[in-house]
Amino acid sequence: MRYVEEGKLRETRLSAAYRGPQQEIGEKCGLTYWRSLDELAQTPEFKEAVQREFPNDEWDRLPPATRRQFLKVMGASIAFAGLTSCRWPKEEIVPFASRPDGRTPGVPEQYATAMEIGGSALGLLVTSVDGRPIKNEGNPLHPDSLGALPAMAQADILQLYDPDRSRRLIYRQGGQDFVKTWDDFASWTAEHISDTPSGVAVLAAPTSSPSMARMRRHFDETFPQAAWYEYQPISRDAEREGTTIAYGRPLRVHPHLDHARVIACFDADPFFDHPSAIPLARQFADARQPSKDGFCRLWVAEPAFTITGGQADHRRAVPGSAVPKLLASVARELVATHQLALSEEAVNLEAAFGAAASDGDVFVTELAADLMAHRGSSVILVGVGQAPAVHALAAVLNEALGAVGRTLSYTEVPDPERTTHMQAISDLVARMSSGTVETLLILGGNPVYDAPADLGFADVLAKVPNTVHLALYDDETSKRCSWHLPQAHSLEAWGDGRAWNGTVTLQQPLIEPLYGGRSVIEVVATLLGEPLPNGHDIARETALTFLDGEVTDTSWKHALHDGVIDGTAWQPAVVELDGSRLASAGAGLAGLVGAASPSVQRPELNLTADRKVFDGRWANNAWQQELPDAITKTTWDNTLQVAPPTARDLGLVEGDLVEVSAGGATVELPVCIVPGQAAATMTAALGYGRTAAGSVGNGVGGDVYRLRMALSPWLVPEVDIRKTGRTIPLATTQDHFAIDAIGFGARNNRISTLVREASIDHYLADPEVFHHFDHHPPLVSLWKDKEYEGEQWGMAIDLNACNGCNACVVACQAENNVPVVGREQVINQREMHWLRIDRYFKTEPGVGPLDVDDAEIVFQPMTCVQCENAPCEQVCPVAATQHTEDGINAMVYNRCIGTRYCSNNCPFKVRRFNFFNYHKDLQEVEKLQFNPEVTVRSRGVMEKCTYCIQRIQKVRIGARNDNRPISDGEIVPACAQTCPTKAIAFGDLNDPTSEVSRLREDNRAYATLAELNIRPRTQYLARLSNKVGGDGQGGHAPAHHGDDLTHGKEAG
Amino acid sequence: MSTSTSVAESYLNNTTDDPTRRAPLIVGDNDFHSVTDAVCGIIEMPKTPPAWWIAFFISVSLTGVLFAMITYLITTGVGVWGLQAPVAWGWAIVNFVFWVGIGHAGTLISAVLFLFRQRWRTSINRFAEGMTIFAVVCAGVFPGIHVGRVWVAYWLAPIPNQMSMWPNFRSPLLWDVFAVGTYATVSLLFWYMGMIPDLATIRDRAKSKVRWFIYGILSLGWRSSNRHWHRFEMAYLLLAALATPLVLSVHSVVSFDFAVSIVPGWHTTIFPPYFVAGAIFSGFAMVVTLVIPTRKFFHLEEIITLRHLESMAKIMLATGMMVGLAYSTEFFIAWYSGNSYEAFAFLNRAFGPYAWAYWIMVSCNVIVPQVFWFKKFRTNLIVLWVASILINVGMWFERFVIVVSSLSRDYLPSSWGYYRPSIVDVLTFVGSFGLFMTLFLLFVRFLPIVGMAEVKGVMPQAHLKDVAAQGHGDYHGDILTERGGVKS
Repeated sequence: MRYVEEGKLRETRLSAAYRGPQQEIGEKCGLTYWRSLDELAQTPEFKEAVQREFPNDEWDRLPPATRRQFLKVMGASIAFAGLTSCRWPKEEIVPFASRPDGRTPGVPEQYATAMEIGGSALGLLVTSVDGRPIKNEGNPLHPDSLGALPAMAQADILQLYDPDRSRRLIYRQGGQDFVKTWDDFASWTAEHISDTPSGVAVLAAPTSSPSMARMRRHFDETFPQAAWYEYQPISRDAEREGTTIAYGRPLRVHPHLDHARVIACFDADPFFDHPSAIPLARQFADARQPSKDGFCRLWVAEPAFTITGGQADHRRAVPGSAVPKLLASVARELVATHQLALSEEAVNLEAAFGAAASDGDVFVTELAADLMAHRGSSVILVGVGQAPAVHALAAVLNEALGAVGRTLSYTEVPDPERTTHMQAISDLVARMSSGTVETLLILGGNPVYDAPADLGFADVLAKVPNTVHLALYDDETSKRCSWHLPQAHSLEAWGDGRAWNGTVTLQQPLIEPLYGGRSVIEVVATLLGEPLPNGHDIARETALTFLDGEVTDTSWKHALHDGVIDGTAWQPAVVELDGSRLASAGAGLAGLVGAASPSVQRPELNLTADRKVFDGRWANNAWQQELPDAITKTTWDNTLQVAPPTARDLGLVEGDLVEVSAGGATVELPVCIVPGQAAATMTAALGYGRTAAGSVGNGVGGDVYRLRMALSPWLVPEVDIRKTGRTIPLATTQDHFAIDAIGFGARNNRISTLVREASIDHYLADPEVFHHFDHHPPLVSLWKDKEYEGEQWGMAIDLNACNGCNACVVACQAENNVPVVGREQVINQREMHWLRIDRYFKTEPGVGPLDVDDAEIVFQPMTCVQCENAPCEQVCPVAATQHTEDGINAMVYNRCIGTRYCSNNCPFKVRRFNFFNYHKDLQEVEKLQFNPEVTVRSRGVMEKCTYCIQRIQKVRIGARNDNRPISDGEIVPACAQTCPTKAIAFGDLNDPTSEVSRLREDNRAYATLAELNIRPRTQYLARLSNKVGGDGQGGHAPAHHGDDLTHGKEAG
Repeated sequence: MSTSTSVAESYLNNTTDDPTRRAPLIVGDNDFHSVTDAVCGIIEMPKTPPAWWIAFFISVSLTGVLFAMITYLITTGVGVWGLQAPVAWGWAIVNFVFWVGIGHAGTLISAVLFLFRQRWRTSINRFAEGMTIFAVVCAGVFPGIHVGRVWVAYWLAPIPNQMSMWPNFRSPLLWDVFAVGTYATVSLLFWYMGMIPDLATIRDRAKSKVRWFIYGILSLGWRSSNRHWHRFEMAYLLLAALATPLVLSVHSVVSFDFAVSIVPGWHTTIFPPYFVAGAIFSGFAMVVTLVIPTRKFFHLEEIITLRHLESMAKIMLATGMMVGLAYSTEFFIAWYSGNSYEAFAFLNRAFGPYAWAYWIMVSCNVIVPQVFWFKKFRTNLIVLWVASILINVGMWFERFVIVVSSLSRDYLPSSWGYYRPSIVDVLTFVGSFGLFMTLFLLFVRFLPIVGMAEVKGVMPQAHLKDVAAQGHGDYHGDILTERGGVKS
């Protein structure tokens, strides 16, 4: 991993070339000779004239131009900046007259920084080329990243360059929009906040930033009458409230899956929606290694498939409302059958779940027995969508099972006095409706879009005379506020945050604000009367308080270099169950346990955070919109997920547009039929149906926030389903049409050989189990094999570790300039992802396509496997696809004429064709994201994965310059770099000690479609399952047929 | 003979076999002059018939559509077609194989039947050769435009370049370039060379300076001298010998595009003979489709006789059965090989999402030609014409089934898809018929559609009593006129 040395950090602002035209007011004055012009510009007559002339026009918009022109125009905009009363500090006019220490033009550098998702900071390492950040990677030193990043965090870089982002301050009055400056806003705040602070309320998006906490303290001190609320639509408040019930105070829950032998997830999706999803996924993958003592077992009960559910050994599809009952019956089984002793404080709860009989449910009895058998190494996790009482019950059970301190720990929350977000927004709305709020400052978030529908936030917002919204986009909320302030992207601003375990994480900007935005910290400083807020100074001052010993410039730089400050994680809290609170929670729990089951006619609707656009914030992010959902493989839409039997009962088919109504609101959604959905339930993801997201996200999908109630944010108990009679094609990347019986049968027959799986017991008993699948004659070559001197590359993908999270797909897209093709083209099956994740459902034999009640899921990341005997190379008439000296099946883009024969002859169908010029309509600013080391392909050209050959070459050149061999692990393709579970290994096959060679020697290694004698360089490591009873009923016993002589292990 | 107007009983019916004498190849009271008049009359018509103009207008319009679609394609990208990830070849390749297949009949009739001394070929060979050229022109359009970057399509050819790079000789697409290129060249030469004596006839009959000049150029100074005829016949024989293997090679090579790949449903050794049989099948069907209205319209029934049509029906029956055998062999091998991918490809073909196309193909190609077992249908023009059209439909679907159904579901079920053509696909195909018909209409109006010189060679008048003086070629037996007796 490359780090930037100390002293190379850019504390000062970056290249003047990328300065936005408007953001500069806050900075030091430098050039005196602008003063007279400046004063001229400051005159009200002049400003009025500008306003008259350009009331709504985006006169500061970046023109479409070449890079050279772009630089010129941006240079000119410095002069315009003077006209809008902004000045540049002298030292920034000539930043590169003397080259910054250690910087070489054209050589990419990486900087540690951070971003926040859901109030927890995620450490990033961002690659920057000549002052423009191009790729987000994880910071290996950060506890929640470990070098990996989820898809959303990687795609966030596209947001930075989004041309739809807001570029100016807008003041809306009397139906007219006026372009304003930050100075205007500062004087406006002086008038409306400093002078009349009594009617001021702040609605902020929650943040873990210590600087923000500090600024808020200042704010509270300065304006004691002002009220401060925090709201976000997706949070872990239920868990927090649950710990409050169990332990008397809110606590943060930290599962430690590396120590767990039995994990039971009740509607929990720790691999996706937990702030520590990456470490949790990695711990789980490590606990599933066959070499390890004791193989972890995962039990999942959930209404809809999650990526966690996809990894389960035992999965039960249950309605969200029935999860409490299921957990209660496990509790009862533990207490009644296995005599598990609950703590004294919790015995009152027994009454609540006493009635929940298991009814001989095998899932319950076996799970209880398994938990009991692994006391001290088992853990129960409950999802954010469940009520606090359910979390409390889980806490009690974890306590009784000895999980606390072993597989689970607690820490204090940093903001114990905070009410829940739902409570906060309800309180705010109440206060707004009473008319006591005169000025509302909305700092981040998008409450008009994502506040619970029953609060009618948009309506009460209209009653507030002065409203201010700071946001990246002029979005739904901004459109209804009197002020819109452009927010700086996290890569444009200084800041900080804390990881889920408390580790202080620093955020440094990689680029000047492109559109003159300011960070929340800077805006709060403005509110506090600071005329020239300086995020850098604020963040630095905060950070210094965390640095031990002598605080020096060096230690600050060191912290910036690392991105994290060591030793700032919180210590585990000492916890004790709170009997009185638990006792009072019993009744509530009993109510949840006794909930009636949903009926097919009035099914229940479970709401989830979307795996791509999350709460809607990435709705305008084309990478995320086009990313196939891990389970449904749909892009560009949220769907109403329905199980096949429920769909059959309701007469629904895939793509049917249905009206889902509850509480007077109606949302239109297309039906997506997914096995593994609980009967009589439906699931829909939040975050779609945006109306002011931008050109990408507007009108994509249906807005299910309209069905969301403050008191029941995750579950709509009964919805009406009405067919509209219309259908729309779903833009899915797999299963493009309803499958017929013949295809269904053939697909099911093939899955077991494509994605091989066996139980751990079976595998340990017969390590060759995965090769009983191979039935083919010896694979002999017609020609003399090519001899490889030096390196020959290969890859191994561990299917046992892959959880289908999609991080690699976005990493590949960012690294390789993979275009986005749009909804229509995905429907036409022309998506361009070089790396895709094949998702297969596995069902018992004999089940027809319409009768699939439940299924298992297997994932197989699929990209070019770089066949040694490549079918594509032989058929290309112009020799545009060729083997390299190190064994890679390379594409020569400028030689390709686009016959597409290679694609036809590729058995994996991993080649992607540029049917159109997909880069034609890109704006200049979007092109700044491109990786300069990878060709941007033209229309009519085939493209595909080449193991990130640019990364290989870069390392090779460095090694050659140093006159040393390339060491194992030095080259990391983008997909392997970001894999949370380290499922992808890459290296030199000629080096017998390399990791990839070692993995390919593993008994689990096999090559997909090896029988075609193509000799893939990417091999897969088979999946292992760990069902109770191993190979018994429901176990994974691969069919053994033929004699061992026919089991040729593939050559090469 | 009866004077009934029914064709079956009129003198035009030369399909009755009389073991005592050979059936006449030309019927009616024709001599050399009347043949010349009949054929040249079409070209020398003082006024173009309105029907020709109507047909020409429609054809040219469709050609315009073709070029409009090609322009749109080239300016926008091949994405305007219905192609997608698993099915990267669609209608363009289907059309290419379809047109190349049609282009087989001409050379087969001219060259193979010439070598086998099937004298009946003379009445239809020019016509069929012309059709071949036009079909190959239509076929040639598609591989050229179907590539992603048309402007560099010439990289397919082994042209010296600054990269010092050869094309990839392992690729069947390159073989295609050579095979189709050679075939087109030889067919064109063969067609043109065979036409030289007839062009000279038109030149000699020319009444206008322009006509005299143009046909004069085209006839390359043909004076019908003994020496000319000697050279001509030798060259004709050599070209026929050269063209004959091409009939077999070109579609064999086209079939390699599929057979050499590893796609289940494509990777079969039966493809070369199966494709050649199919090509002859469709080529003959196309000749029949065109010749029936043409001979009627231009009153050539005495020269292109019912017997010719019947013979072609017999060939269609034979090749149709070959194709049917190939279909069943494919299924047998799919089962017998034990290769599950292969087995699935064929099950999927017959019963999967493209089953409709498969059964259209089987109905048209295997069931329809069975009517030709019956002479009543072989000699019924309506049945013959409808059947020949259905066969062409079936043969188009054969290529569609092979190309699309195999690709749509290959190895990984995750990549399976369903291909639908776009409107541009459809219009391009329809437009290619416009181009074909335009060329064909120009051909019938301006060039001799029947090889006059050759027809005269098989007429009784060419065979004087002196055996030594019998015309070129070695005609065995006498040609009798319908009226009985040897013509002299």
